[in-house]
Amino acid sequence: MLHVALSNIKTYARRYIAVILAVAIGTAFLAATLSVNSSTQATLKNSLGDAYKNADLVAYPDWDLVPGAEELTELGLKDIADVRNLPEVSTAYGLAYADGLLRTADNSYGVSAQPVDPDQGLGGMELIEGRAPQGSNEIIIDASHAEEMGVSIGDVVALENGAISPANYNIVGIQRSTTNPRTSAYALAGMSEKAWQHFSGGQALITEIVVNGDGSDESLKAELEKLFAGKKMADMAVVTADEKVLNEVAQFTGGTDQLSVILLVFALIALVVTGLVVVNTFAVVIAQRTRELALLRILGAKRKQIRSSVLIEALLIGILASILGVLLAVALMAGLIQLLHVMVPEMSYAALALTPQGLAIPILVGVLMTVVAASLPARRAMKLAPLAALRPFDAASVKNRAGKARIIFGSLFVVAGASLLAYGAIQGDLVVAFLGGLVSFPGILMLASLFVPSSVSGIGKAVAGKSTAGKLAALNAVRNPGRTTATATALLIGVTLVSMIMVGGQTAKASLNNAVAAEFPVDMMVSFYDRQVSGAETKSMLEQINGVDGITASSSFNSGYADVDMGTDEMFNAEVMSVDPTSFADVALDPNIVPADGEIVYVLGSPENPTVEVGGQTLAVKNSEAMLSGNIVTEQTFSKLEIDEANQYSGILIKVDSDVNAAGVNELVTKVSAITGVESSMINGGVVMKSMFSQIIDVLLMIVSALLAVAVLIALIGVANTLSLSILERTRENSLLRALGLKKKQLRGMLATEAVLIGGVAALLGLVLGVAYGLLGARSALASMGTMTYEIPWWQLALVLLISIVAALLASVTPGRRAAKLSPVEGLAVE
Amino acid sequence: MTSETLPKTEDAVAARGLTKTYGHDSTRVEALRDVNVSFERSRFTAIMGPSGSGKSTLMHCLAGLDTADSGEIIIGGKNLLELSDDQLTEMRREQIGFVFQSFNLVPTITAKDNILLPLSLAGKKHDRDWFNTVIQALGLGDRLNHKPHELSGGQQQRVAVARALLTRPEVVFGDEPTGNLDSRTGAEVLSLMRTSTREMGQTIIMVTHDPVAASYADNVLLMKDGTIVGSIQEPTVATVTEALASLAE
Repeated sequence: MLHVALSNIKTYARRYIAVILAVAIGTAFLAATLSVNSSTQATLKNSLGDAYKNADLVAYPDWDLVPGAEELTELGLKDIADVRNLPEVSTAYGLAYADGLLRTADNSYGVSAQPVDPDQGLGGMELIEGRAPQGSNEIIIDASHAEEMGVSIGDVVALENGAISPANYNIVGIQRSTTNPRTSAYALAGMSEKAWQHFSGGQALITEIVVNGDGSDESLKAELEKLFAGKKMADMAVVTADEKVLNEVAQFTGGTDQLSVILLVFALIALVVTGLVVVNTFAVVIAQRTRELALLRILGAKRKQIRSSVLIEALLIGILASILGVLLAVALMAGLIQLLHVMVPEMSYAALALTPQGLAIPILVGVLMTVVAASLPARRAMKLAPLAALRPFDAASVKNRAGKARIIFGSLFVVAGASLLAYGAIQGDLVVAFLGGLVSFPGILMLASLFVPSSVSGIGKAVAGKSTAGKLAALNAVRNPGRTTATATALLIGVTLVSMIMVGGQTAKASLNNAVAAEFPVDMMVSFYDRQVSGAETKSMLEQINGVDGITASSSFNSGYADVDMGTDEMFNAEVMSVDPTSFADVALDPNIVPADGEIVYVLGSPENPTVEVGGQTLAVKNSEAMLSGNIVTEQTFSKLEIDEANQYSGILIKVDSDVNAAGVNELVTKVSAITGVESSMINGGVVMKSMFSQIIDVLLMIVSALLAVAVLIALIGVANTLSLSILERTRENSLLRALGLKKKQLRGMLATEAVLIGGVAALLGLVLGVAYGLLGARSALASMGTMTYEIPWWQLALVLLISIVAALLASVTPGRRAAKLSPVEGLAVE
Repeated sequence: MTSETLPKTEDAVAARGLTKTYGHDSTRVEALRDVNVSFERSRFTAIMGPSGSGKSTLMHCLAGLDTADSGEIIIGGKNLLELSDDQLTEMRREQIGFVFQSFNLVPTITAKDNILLPLSLAGKKHDRDWFNTVIQALGLGDRLNHKPHELSGGQQQRVAVARALLTRPEVVFGDEPTGNLDSRTGAEVLSLMRTSTREMGQTIIMVTHDPVAASYADNVLLMKDGTIVGSIQEPTVATVTEALASLAE
């Protein structure tokens, strides 16, 4: 049957373009995901492994070898010397970093010094220029930091650290800079072992001994292990350099690569959608070939041969599309890494890594998915009676037999999933709710054949109105309910997930904003923890701050600690903030937190007594939900309190115009930071938190939506494909309508209506489901935070609907044009 | 109907100097060679001829489904060869009716909707009395709400005839209308068609290769090699068979 399959593919190549495209995109997604993983690993190996690049073995003290050990072996230069004395060892050096300051004529820089010996591999360093350090006052320095500091060979710099007093060192060589993120931050200096011993003052530890040997790694390892055993260093691990690098990469990425796991989930979604498109395409293609396949049966083809012919077609298409997809992914990743090299030259060690598995798995998955998806339609083809070839095939609509089992299981899944989801939402348990979603969504998809065709037909009738072409479009859209369901379901999955993320994100954003607003009673707060700021200085700052666009008010405060007696036995120390009640009222978001004289507004806990004794004064308690660093009193009250002198500081509170957006807030923070001299990361407050949350959520939303967009794209290809195949199938009928007086424009309009109906209704159902899942999911995740604020991003959802409709419309253009171009006589002659 | 407002000419359909060729060079086939023909109003005409004689091409051109290379075709005072595609489409739905061999009903809609299709495509209301007359004449009263696949072949073809008659077109074209029917049902449909010319004044042009079917017509045109080579008035099965046999020589 191979030649039949091949000639079918050749003959009907056009019908397979869309399915090849869909499978290729799905496979490319998977391949790119795997390649991100392997490339990250390779990049980390390049950088973390820089120190072991030419090494055979690495020996280091490892906690895991001696469980319960109190402390690790401290390696010294003596131990390195012992290693070097072993017969099989050719070179050995220790990795040890003694930190200090390097002063040039103009400036000082952080520096790490490592012992190097030119006879022992120079500590893994590579000289680019000059010579190795020998004397006690010679160093070599890494190239990029040398350039940054403006020093070169022959210059003299001063080194110092806590252990030694400053001393001058001559730069005698320049070595290649390392890409190891652990050591590349500081300038890396190499000095002779003796000089290093002096510089480190015995403080710095040797973390690893890097060994190269003459013989095999195994015998070298045995020798080293014997040495350490003899020295009673039970915790010394001896591993190959590769093992050590893998170890460090795993540590660096926290063991599992979460990015890859997340990307894999999205790749899986894209593949499920691709699978639906494949099922549909093959179902349609086979329906169209009913006569042909039945003829083959008449001519003596066995049932199994029919099936294998279809499966061989699927196999060939799967192979072609998957290879295309993998090539696409490789090109994409190579392009991205090239882009990274150009945009961030320091990341020149970023590498594209293609593992054989990384290439083979996506191809295998792509092929398998195509064949499995095609096996259902193939089975249907197999059941075809030979007589079907002789029977005119003009049935109005194919009865949709939603299998009983599918309905039962679907209902069970929906009920169980919905219960879990409801429980999770009520209890605020995200894990349970997530499980509920995971169970109920497949259930809904199983039941899709019950509600998708009826929705399409209902909405179609309503929209079509009186136009005959519209009515026919509505009827055609549900002519083959199974096909319509599969097409719509593919799109529904994507739209549901996208809108769920949008609604969930928006609700999370709104809820977090309100929670923050409820807790933070001020927009922005600047605290002078580390310096004294005089009253006059504060006053001038306030004036400057008030002059900034977007800031409506500001006020200063003082803060100190006082003893508090709440009437219990224990006295304790609590922070008290003193404010000017008039200007504080302008910046306070909640009028209830403005204190009167003799009153203390409690923001840290809520005492039950009506009064408390603070700093020797009895003050009336006013409770508040707000959160601030200290309980609030007026300046007048504060002056009467006994305040702990030591920990006093002052600060400024700022109110921001409510129209300022997240980017505007960042700008304001920068400006306030410039005026006050307080680092922008140390400025907090309600709007600052809000803008931070908003930005984080927005970025996450964008990434997730972009990833899901791939699934939506594939589904839309499916809509175009189903439509063009259905039109092909109805060539005669469309020609008849043309013969009876349907204008070309009406025909195109009819087909466009059909596409928009399927695409629009799928998107609409997806939106409804997405909103429900989004709200329930957000509630499960955030209910524990307190009051929820439900918000639906109508505009974004409308955009999703619009995109789906426009895409469906576009999908109808080419098949519509082809159908309209066909003359009625030609069309009517088609079998 | 618009046809009633147009000046009535003697002929419902007239063609002059029609030529049509398919293919190029060696594959060139002259399907129509300078055909001049006219069809009288309220007459049932059958076109006959051996395969490849050009009878189907002639009918497709006359019906505005296909375009001739040169010449003119006049229906309702208009030359079809000068009309745009949209005008031609309007012509088809208002002044031309069709009955096909394979019925060609739209499978998704009921018999009634199929009958009304040309009118509803034009966005026009149907004349209720005329509708009832046609339905009665064709005996479709109790089948109107059935979908095509629920009807027998004869019933389907009667629906197609009703569809063709409902617009009171200038002319109804039949393309082997009884080709897919058994002889009894075929006879029934042909009698209905003949009745419609006698009682409703409908002009009908039918292509067929069946002498029995042709015997129902008022007039038979004989075609060979793209030209009209003869005609038989008041044909019988015997005269038609004889004429066809002589054509084959």
